[in-house]
Amino acid sequence: MTLLQIKDLSAFYGRTQALFNCSFDVSEGEFIALLGSNGAGKTTMLRALSGLLHFEGSIAYAGTSLGKVSPQRRLELGIAHIPQGRGTFTEFTVDENLSLGATIVTSRSQIKEDKERWYDAFPRLKERRDQLAGNLSGGEQQMLAVARALMSRPKLLMCDEPSLGLAPSITQEILTIFKTLHRDHGMTLLVVEQNVDITLQYADRAFVIEAGQIVASGTAVEMVNNEDIKKSYLGVAG
Amino acid sequence: MSLFFQLVVSGLTTGAIYAALALALVLIFRATNVVNFGQGEMATFSAYCTWQLMEWGAPLWVALLVSLAGSFAVGVITFRAVIRPLMSAPVEAIVVVTLGIFVLFQAAGMWLWGAEQRSFPSLFPDGGFNVGDVRILNSTVGTLVILVMIAVLMGLIFSFTRLGLSMRAAAFDHARSVLVGVNVERMLMLGWGFAAVIGAFAAILIAPRLFLNPTMMTPILFYGLAAATLGGWDSPLGAIAGGLIVGVAESLGASYLSFIGADMRIAVPIALTLLILLVKPVGLFGSYKVTKL
Amino acid sequence: MSDGSRSRLVKFGLFAAAAVLLPLLLPGYALQQVCIAIAYAIAIMGLNLLMGFGGQICLAQGALFGVGAYVTAILNSDYGIHPIATLPMSATATALVGLVVGLPALRLQGLQLAIVTFGIAAAFPQLLLKMGGITGGVSGLPIDGLEAPTWVPVSPELWLYVVSQCCAGIAALLVTLMLFGDVGRALRAQRDNAQIAEALGVNLTKTRLWAFAGSSALAGLGGGVFAIITGFISPESFLAILSINIVIGSIVGGVTSVVGAFLGGLFMVFVPTWASDINLSLGNLIYGLALILIMMVARNGVTGFIEKWLSTILRRTADNTASVKETREELT
Repeated sequence: MTLLQIKDLSAFYGRTQALFNCSFDVSEGEFIALLGSNGAGKTTMLRALSGLLHFEGSIAYAGTSLGKVSPQRRLELGIAHIPQGRGTFTEFTVDENLSLGATIVTSRSQIKEDKERWYDAFPRLKERRDQLAGNLSGGEQQMLAVARALMSRPKLLMCDEPSLGLAPSITQEILTIFKTLHRDHGMTLLVVEQNVDITLQYADRAFVIEAGQIVASGTAVEMVNNEDIKKSYLGVAG
Repeated sequence: MSLFFQLVVSGLTTGAIYAALALALVLIFRATNVVNFGQGEMATFSAYCTWQLMEWGAPLWVALLVSLAGSFAVGVITFRAVIRPLMSAPVEAIVVVTLGIFVLFQAAGMWLWGAEQRSFPSLFPDGGFNVGDVRILNSTVGTLVILVMIAVLMGLIFSFTRLGLSMRAAAFDHARSVLVGVNVERMLMLGWGFAAVIGAFAAILIAPRLFLNPTMMTPILFYGLAAATLGGWDSPLGAIAGGLIVGVAESLGASYLSFIGADMRIAVPIALTLLILLVKPVGLFGSYKVTKL
Repeated sequence: MSDGSRSRLVKFGLFAAAAVLLPLLLPGYALQQVCIAIAYAIAIMGLNLLMGFGGQICLAQGALFGVGAYVTAILNSDYGIHPIATLPMSATATALVGLVVGLPALRLQGLQLAIVTFGIAAAFPQLLLKMGGITGGVSGLPIDGLEAPTWVPVSPELWLYVVSQCCAGIAALLVTLMLFGDVGRALRAQRDNAQIAEALGVNLTKTRLWAFAGSSALAGLGGGVFAIITGFISPESFLAILSINIVIGSIVGGVTSVVGAFLGGLFMVFVPTWASDINLSLGNLIYGLALILIMMVARNGVTGFIEKWLSTILRRTADNTASVKETREELT
């Protein structure tokens, strides 16, 4: 079943156009990688999807048009966005960060239950629950960002460059978490990355964005084997 | 020695005034990251509304409740009308707008009620009591108790409720808050509303002593700012402690330091502010850096 | 010619024309008001140096303005020095005072500096009263009236106008020189990011002190000119509200613009007067509303707004001429 249907999406920063008529579909339960170089328009795509940026064209999520839907409402519909730089509330404690992730949740027992669940899944966060989030390491902050996003029980989790500033082994760890969420919880994932080779090991399908347009798409296996695409758009040699 | 204690008590009495204004300034800073230079004038306006309702025959408590509710509305409307459209503007623009609020509310008070001083009933019984040789007024004690209660309540709301957490998040970072589902605009609006209520409370508490007039709060704006800086811009109890310290130091300095005397007493808060900023820039009770105006 | 330099030229032309035409059009009293606006404009230029280019909000500019005014008045009434000759001394003395104020600024930023300097502005009138021995206390100090030299056949008002415009010209020149030189570059660098600027070799201490000295010197010069124009000064003229009004004038005009400084000065003098002309009791109400509305329409100050508007018009006319040319070429 199609969860996300994007048609002729264009987006602007002031007068500068950043996305040109992009169209693609995402099925429920897919792990999608959105690849491309710096400034290609990947982040813009996520911002349009989560409601931080006005767009032209149409985005339909589970059959609902997102044109005039507020960011809060999108979160209630199940779209969570972990922004670049992780969106950490650095002057708040780890526990408060998780509470903020559950802003749209009304049931207190659900919040308590979810906190315990994610503290069990991320014991490092549990140890530091009363520390200021700004004092965590990059990897820990990324885990906190994931846990925070999960507090709203999203159906579609979008993450902007999780590997940024992290050691490769930690990037692998984060992507493994995504894979688990995808496999065990049927979560749909849209992960923006520049780190092509590692990401393609985990994703089902991938799109390549270049200069605001989608220039290639295919399954992860096809992408890995297509040297042309890798060379011309992703700057990966051999 | 009894002179010393009498000076301390008189310092605490003035300090309570500074503390009240500082409390309102700190709340709005904590909730919206803006220093509202017009806070004191908005508060004076609220005190006038209370007075007007009583003139029309309303009992004190009714007048108080109605004007506190009215202040909340005025805070919300001010935010919607003039601050929200400028949220993405440079800080300087917001500074000028809060100065505009200052001028506007003072002028409105002057226009509606004129410049003459009016007496304002105290919420507390007249008189006081003696501790040894030192005379303490009921109103001083009452004002301080109410202020501390407000500060504690504010602190509890900010630290332990979901609403408080969302308000702090909205003040901390707009985009990040939007992404976790915080309705940033509503939080900032509530922040302005609550700050207006606290400001109104402050003005009503101190109006009996200062006498109600449109410029009642103007001379103490700097003392409020100094008190907030001393206590720390993110700490409601710090604001009260800061206000009391400024009040006591001013009272002692003006009497004991001959080169300051009564006419240069404002040098005391300047020196205190400078000292705390150079020694501990976040203030006595502050916990994070304040760099934004 | 690029849009930028063309609009700058247009702006400068308009400005020069206004400066020459003003004294011909205005009656004597209004001309004196304009002179006062120019005195404020000089102080605003100084503040722009600090606030617009240095990123530091100083609320003591009115007090420094007062220092300059008092230096001029004391030198003139106690030592009989010709008023114009006192101006360089007012600027220098105020710059020294400004350095003392600037010392804490080395460690303070934004809100903190604003609060401390606001305190200084509030204490200044009190200090003047306390030092009544040299400042004359409440009764203030007189300054000799200025008469045009015999070889310049103009009225005293016009001569005052010429003198204050010359001082403003010198101030504008100094600001421009400072901004285009090394100090200006260092100033802008430390405003954008102090740590990076320091890593690149900008001496923060020196740069910030320079900015404070320069800004205060202009405040002092403006104050001196103010004293000469009004012929009498007292602590009443230098209340804390003056510092706030100078900041308002600076921001309303546009914090990074020399022309904006003049507009800011005019705003400070004329808008409150006009507002109370419309309706005496509503004057301040209108002034407050005007402040808020101006910032809502022109958030980068009036000059920023006019520049944007001018360059749009220029671009449009340029586009039109270009398209006319094209059609002609097609026809032939």
